Amino acid sequence: MTALSTNRRKKAVHFLLDWAAVITLLLCFVIFTLLKGKSFMSENNMINILRAMSITTVFGIAATVTMSTDGFDMSMCTLASCSAYVFVSMYLWNGMSLGMSIVMSILVTLVMYQLTMFLILVTRIPDMLATAALMFVHQGLGQWYIGGGAVSTGMRLPNGNPPARTTLSPQFSAIGRAPLIIIITLVCVLLAYIFLEHTKYGRYMYAIGGNREAARLSGINVKGYRYLAGLITAVFIAVGGILVASRTSSAQVMNSDGYLMQSLAAVFVGRSVGGAERPNAIGTLVGALLVSTLENGLTIMAVPYYMLPAVKGGVLALALIAAYAGKKEQ
Amino acid sequence: MERITLGTSKVSIEFPGVKALSDVDFEVTTGEIRALVGANGAGKSTLMKALSGANPGYTGEIRLNGQPIEIRTPLAAKRRGIQIVYQEVDTALIPTFTVGENVMLNETIMYGKQLMNWRELYRQARAVLDRLHINVNVKTLVQNLSLAEKQMVLIARAIQSKCNFLLLDEPTAPLSDAETSELFALVRHLRETENIAIVFVSHRINEVIQICDSYTVMRNGEIVDTTPITPETTTSEIVEKMLGRSISESFPKEETIIGETVLEVENLSGADGKVDNVSLTVRSGEIIGIAGLVGAGKSELCKTLFGAYRKTGGSIKLHGKELRMRIPSHAVKNGLALVPEERRKEGVMVNENVAFNLSAASLDKHTVASFVNRGSINANARQFVSDLDIVTPGIFQVVKNLSGGNQQKVSVGKWLAADCSVYIFDEPTKGVDVGAKREVFHLINDIAKRGNAVIYASCENSEILSITDRVYVMYDGQVMAELVTKDTNEDEIMHYAVGGKHVPD
Repeated sequence: MTALSTNRRKKAVHFLLDWAAVITLLLCFVIFTLLKGKSFMSENNMINILRAMSITTVFGIAATVTMSTDGFDMSMCTLASCSAYVFVSMYLWNGMSLGMSIVMSILVTLVMYQLTMFLILVTRIPDMLATAALMFVHQGLGQWYIGGGAVSTGMRLPNGNPPARTTLSPQFSAIGRAPLIIIITLVCVLLAYIFLEHTKYGRYMYAIGGNREAARLSGINVKGYRYLAGLITAVFIAVGGILVASRTSSAQVMNSDGYLMQSLAAVFVGRSVGGAERPNAIGTLVGALLVSTLENGLTIMAVPYYMLPAVKGGVLALALIAAYAGKKEQ
Repeated sequence: MERITLGTSKVSIEFPGVKALSDVDFEVTTGEIRALVGANGAGKSTLMKALSGANPGYTGEIRLNGQPIEIRTPLAAKRRGIQIVYQEVDTALIPTFTVGENVMLNETIMYGKQLMNWRELYRQARAVLDRLHINVNVKTLVQNLSLAEKQMVLIARAIQSKCNFLLLDEPTAPLSDAETSELFALVRHLRETENIAIVFVSHRINEVIQICDSYTVMRNGEIVDTTPITPETTTSEIVEKMLGRSISESFPKEETIIGETVLEVENLSGADGKVDNVSLTVRSGEIIGIAGLVGAGKSELCKTLFGAYRKTGGSIKLHGKELRMRIPSHAVKNGLALVPEERRKEGVMVNENVAFNLSAASLDKHTVASFVNRGSINANARQFVSDLDIVTPGIFQVVKNLSGGNQQKVSVGKWLAADCSVYIFDEPTKGVDVGAKREVFHLINDIAKRGNAVIYASCENSEILSITDRVYVMYDGQVMAELVTKDTNEDEIMHYAVGGKHVPD
């Protein structure tokens, strides 16, 4: 009888912990709606939240793919800045079509990611260290390419030549606005979800992340799939960079760098969603949504902007406590 | 059924400085259960790895039905129907995957379509587990399973795929007696119904005699002998071939002077209910046994005594003084030592050298104003290497390169250096060969002789009977009986270990 009830209590606690991030998210919605009513719970504001969530989510998805193989990439957002430089400069300076600019940006990012994969897979430097070094390489290389200044309309090239285009087309700006930015983000999440959960290649990556040696002995080409994970990550990084550039209508120096920590936070919060215990696409979406909902709600509550990081960090810490506490001892 | 043979011809493997296998000719045919025995470091696991593609650097030939084949990757071996279940189950499982996914892993890799069919995967996994009478939920994450259950999952995985040759590398090491006989029933069933050969690596010679048709003995990387097992085959005969010398089977208990009570445990509960109201006492010079099946709570009791698991009730008194321990560090300060079950994970720091490991529990003695005195550490290491006969090229050798028995000695040695008064041993002979086992026993006897209190937890009842003075038999976290070793026998211990109540006198 007592055994049964403790068992039931354990199950209930487990359930609460597994869905802690989702419950926190719902609580945020309820609290903000109760306190602020229409000014929070309106169609416009919901779109605001989703739009604010988008970029974090895309970078979070990039990190999710890397982390599925137990990898880690600190340099993804500095690389995204480079993707943005390439994207905007191809469009403005070289006068390429929007589509070609996107393709070029993705290609260049893929090429630059070869260096990351070389350091990690060939020279076998631990991910964290290799990508920490690469942060500086990306920052330096990127700024060298754009000549130290931003790429935006009305500016000359570093060599003094006039740009091929002087204005951004409406389509260019549309990428960074609702609804397109939200749609692109959700498509990224959906693709990553299908790939990681429903194709065998995704399962291989999780197998590698769960136990590299077991994966190797099961006949999985560990290096091959870590490389594949890297390529996919690079594509999502480029997409993230393009969204940032389009949102700010230019490629500002280091414009994506600041997204690293909050996208990693989104992945870590999402890790436990539904008891998955590993980085997963849907969890990352939930995590990013939690971050942007908090930011939005607190702003509406007129919490001073300089206090936001502290409150945001505190709530994130609580979500993480729920995600990690109560799991097996030690 | 057409019989298939798998063999090796002049297969050799060299690791830096060691010839792990030299010119090995080995052959098995489907329909037989073959034992592969040998002391630690004889090359059994290396041969198994070569056959299963995990050791691509071999020279010589591997032959299937006499035809040379190349097995340089695990996948190549699996495609030929060669499946292996490793001794260290955690190296083969993905902890973050469900049971079903782990069972079907090979299938997914080799024949899976691009898209995962989750319903079909779980249906097939459930079918194979049902066939083997394994009662585990397919949707449980493997990280939440017990050691024995993980083993079962691995065997299910092997059987599930195309399998003509099943290599079992010490499959029974983590299993209780009941689970072992279940496994044996399964293995016999497989031989009858499928075209399969089973190669069974084990240190437990009595099991080998019980289940195998023939045995191959390895020593120093070579095959010494292959002989059928007949009703006349004896344990000592096999052990003799393994060691190349004869050895007496029993380990005589050495007499010690038993003094006053050192450790007194009253109504101890903890470890999430896996230790339930346990009371016991240990006197100086005394070795007490903790007997019971796997999962009875022996390890949990050891760890709760050591402060590694949370105590929820009861008291632990040392020399009459109650101890308040929340973490192992407190236990060490009070003179308690634990030699844990999972040696490589918990007992030694495998990537550190012998000298560092031997001083790890007593660093305070080797420091001057918190600065480490290397000379003192090295002197300490040299002393224990010679005292304990640790076979190592030198005190700066990294511990992971030592054999299992010698790693165990290092794990014990670090506590000897720390001058403790209570020594807790949790399955100290697991994965240790017969020769090294004797030495470990000798060591434990010595520790008791010096007036220390010793707690010896093991699921091997024969060991409990030969080394202890008294035995506490555990079942489901509780002590079912306290027995005096010289007045009891294996049957009586088993009676309590499976939950039997007191026999009326």
